[in-house]
Amino acid sequence: METLYRLSNIRKSYGQRTVLAINELVLRPGTLYTLTGANGSGKSTLLSILAFLSPPASGELFFGGAPVRWNNAALLPLRRAVTLLHQSPYLFNGSVFSNVAYGLKLRAIRGDEQHRRVEEALMMVGLAGFEHRRARELSGGEAQRVAMARALALGPRVLLLDEPFANVDRDTSALLEELVVSLPGRGTTVIMTTHDPEHPDRLGGELIHLVAGELAGPLPAAA
Amino acid sequence: MDFFTESFHTALDLIAARDPDVVSAVTVSIVVSLWSTLFAALAGIPAGVALGVSEFPGKRWAVTLLNTLMALPTVVVGLFVYSIISRQGPLGGMGLLFTPSAMVIGQTVLAVPIMANFTLSAIKGADPRIIPTALTLGAGPFASVRRLVIELRFGIMAAVIAGFGRVIAEVGVAMMLGGNIRGYTRTMTTAIAMETGKGEFALGLALGLILMTVALIVNLFLNFLQQR
Repeated sequence: METLYRLSNIRKSYGQRTVLAINELVLRPGTLYTLTGANGSGKSTLLSILAFLSPPASGELFFGGAPVRWNNAALLPLRRAVTLLHQSPYLFNGSVFSNVAYGLKLRAIRGDEQHRRVEEALMMVGLAGFEHRRARELSGGEAQRVAMARALALGPRVLLLDEPFANVDRDTSALLEELVVSLPGRGTTVIMTTHDPEHPDRLGGELIHLVAGELAGPLPAAA
Repeated sequence: MDFFTESFHTALDLIAARDPDVVSAVTVSIVVSLWSTLFAALAGIPAGVALGVSEFPGKRWAVTLLNTLMALPTVVVGLFVYSIISRQGPLGGMGLLFTPSAMVIGQTVLAVPIMANFTLSAIKGADPRIIPTALTLGAGPFASVRRLVIELRFGIMAAVIAGFGRVIAEVGVAMMLGGNIRGYTRTMTTAIAMETGKGEFALGLALGLILMTVALIVNLFLNFLQQR
């Protein structure tokens, strides 16, 4: 079976404190992973490494079978395959459309194709017709959905979600849960942190549990 | 009170009569200040951005130096530029001394640290999620910094406004490098200094009122740009 990520002896420290120590972890494409653990267990640090935003202090990360080289030229195509959605996402100043279209513009996707993908992404998150609304005037739940649409419009191979349901109301949470569960079927791997103990069972997929930066409990099936 | 009333009436009379000396001083002030602001923005804003987003050994010293440069006395800048462009200086052959170009050079030197510092402050206070958000959506390093600058445009426009305020109000550089030549390098501030020296307080104050009004109009325009 194909391997998407492989982490080998990954370590990350802040000062003297080791926040992540993973000896071996293999993640497969087209799978939903729920990442659980207490506050400070290293979940966000792991997501940041998987998003290629923050290099590990030591160890090797493989993506698509190739080792990741942490220089800007090598990272750009990797970052364009993976999108991280923060639990409190930042929306750029401007319209909802300009936010959702931002990543598309960077990929030189313009004109009708850009419009089609923005509209499709907004429809997926239940915000059709919101294109001209100012992003800063949205409610918390709407902002979360726009950020999700902004990520989905790019059709990423991997979607990393940091507590995506933490700051949204129940209806939005249900809508986003349904969407997240459907993504692996469309070829997007989802790795999602959560504090909700019911999420792993309710959403299905595979569980990764971190305790003090180390993997604990049964590991997800390797490739 | 009569003194202020008289000054105010003198100011109105000068404006109404379109006094050629006043028109010339206002024009020189605005043109020189706008060019200085433009050049200072081209140097100061990128410098502030670079200092704000990069990490390197000695960064704290660079920031301290920038803070110190903000307090540069105008006469020191004037003297420094004078020594470079005067006949004995390395650029003496260019004949820049006592020209509007010399004033632009001096005022640019004066405004660069202010704009760089204001830009740096804007970046220090920026939302830390901006750059990671741009990167994770596929921006390269340059595009992510560009996004940061766009998001901080209000703060950066404040840097431009502060720089403009500094150069239009200063007198030391304009006097030392421009020479206060009537109809050529005389600005509103050098004219005020001269009129006050002659004992023409009402005329000096009238020019001061005009200077304030011009500064207000330019700032309103820059604020209008900031709001867009």
